[in-house]
Amino acid sequence: MTNNVKISIRQFTILMMFYTIGTTILVIPSTLAADAKQNAWIAAIVGWLLGLLIVYLYFSIGKLYPQMTLIGFLEHTLGKWFGKLVSLIFITFSFLGASTVLFYLANFMTTQVMPETPIGAFIILFAALVFMGVRLGLEVLSRSAEILFPWFLILFVVSSILLIPEIEIQKMKPIMEIGIKPTIKAALAYIGTASLPLVLILLIFPSALNQKKGAGKAFMIGTLLGGICIILITFLSISILGADFSSRNMYPSYALAKQINIGNFIQRVEILMAGMWFMTIFFKASFYAYGVVAGITQLFGCKDYRPFVFPCGMIIAAYSLVVYPNVAYMMDFDSTVYIPYVITIGLLLPLLLLVIGSIRKKMSSR
Amino acid sequence: MIVGIVATASFFTMIEAPPLFKAKKKKELWLFSILLLIGTGLCISVSLDIVIPNPLDLVYVVFKPMSRLLDNLLK
Repeated sequence: MTNNVKISIRQFTILMMFYTIGTTILVIPSTLAADAKQNAWIAAIVGWLLGLLIVYLYFSIGKLYPQMTLIGFLEHTLGKWFGKLVSLIFITFSFLGASTVLFYLANFMTTQVMPETPIGAFIILFAALVFMGVRLGLEVLSRSAEILFPWFLILFVVSSILLIPEIEIQKMKPIMEIGIKPTIKAALAYIGTASLPLVLILLIFPSALNQKKGAGKAFMIGTLLGGICIILITFLSISILGADFSSRNMYPSYALAKQINIGNFIQRVEILMAGMWFMTIFFKASFYAYGVVAGITQLFGCKDYRPFVFPCGMIIAAYSLVVYPNVAYMMDFDSTVYIPYVITIGLLLPLLLLVIGSIRKKMSSR
Repeated sequence: MIVGIVATASFFTMIEAPPLFKAKKKKELWLFSILLLIGTGLCISVSLDIVIPNPLDLVYVVFKPMSRLLDNLLK
């Protein structure tokens, strides 16, 4: 359990930022552009604001029983067996998340960067890295997030500045043409990848923080910063590549970085963009993986999760080759079924838990 | 390939099992060995191209109606 793990508020903020950016930066400009066309950046802003509400919901759940993790909270509020059943749903969610994130990265590597290397090689390499991180513990992960944060910021700022000369403002027009429904649909896709998976943060929030004061603020600031990065990237990819090209490209932000051309000298720096993703995806994958391992450990009532990291890692690595049989399945799943799935787990279930939990708390205090 | 997987699994056992054994944590040992067995089995079957049930298919079936509803709402 996380009893003796303590991370500071600043580390938590940075972790939240990385989690929010995670895979979102990789795929979301394309999803947003498919629905909201040239208004994708508006949809991103709408999703960003909705994301704040969702974070507030998680914060209120965390505040109910600050000493408990998600699994303990479920068992306390729903009773032993039903609680275990619901925790199993969360564990499955994080398991699927971990496998799919690994597949995302490996698929990106084989299709865009190193086409002749088999996908398994990337999965093994990246999974080894992620599970080594999880094995070393949350403290190590959050400290490495602290170290990588300036590098991420430098890469992000540099690539954004280099892209500014390429902006063509007429690609953004007409600004208010797209109606409200496609915008909401796109915003749902945004919160589905960026905000709703954060429900798993309840596994460490707020019980693993060294001070509870300011935790909610840190949570908010982290998601705000991450959201700003995503809005910027969406804006750039719409204004440079155009809505049509962004929606048809699987990795628009990578295609975006290929456009960088300063005086015919600074060119083909797209691997900078990929470097940013390696960092954010690393944290997102380890966050999901931690969810799986810690969830299983607490479900069976064991104290220390570390011995189970590597066996779970083998299962996740194997399943990352299975969950998406092909890319067409992946696109279909992500654009249709994933959204109601994540809304059920990240929004409806927590809302229900909040209601039950607060009733329980009131009854026991009386 | 299979040799590599088995070697990895035994390497994990080598580093994780002795401390558990020493501390006489029976439950942890059981959980560890079951998870490791599942992991090894899955890795081997993936490397042999044996079809493994995909949990996403289940999610797909369960949430497809909801997704259609959402699509119709937001069209």
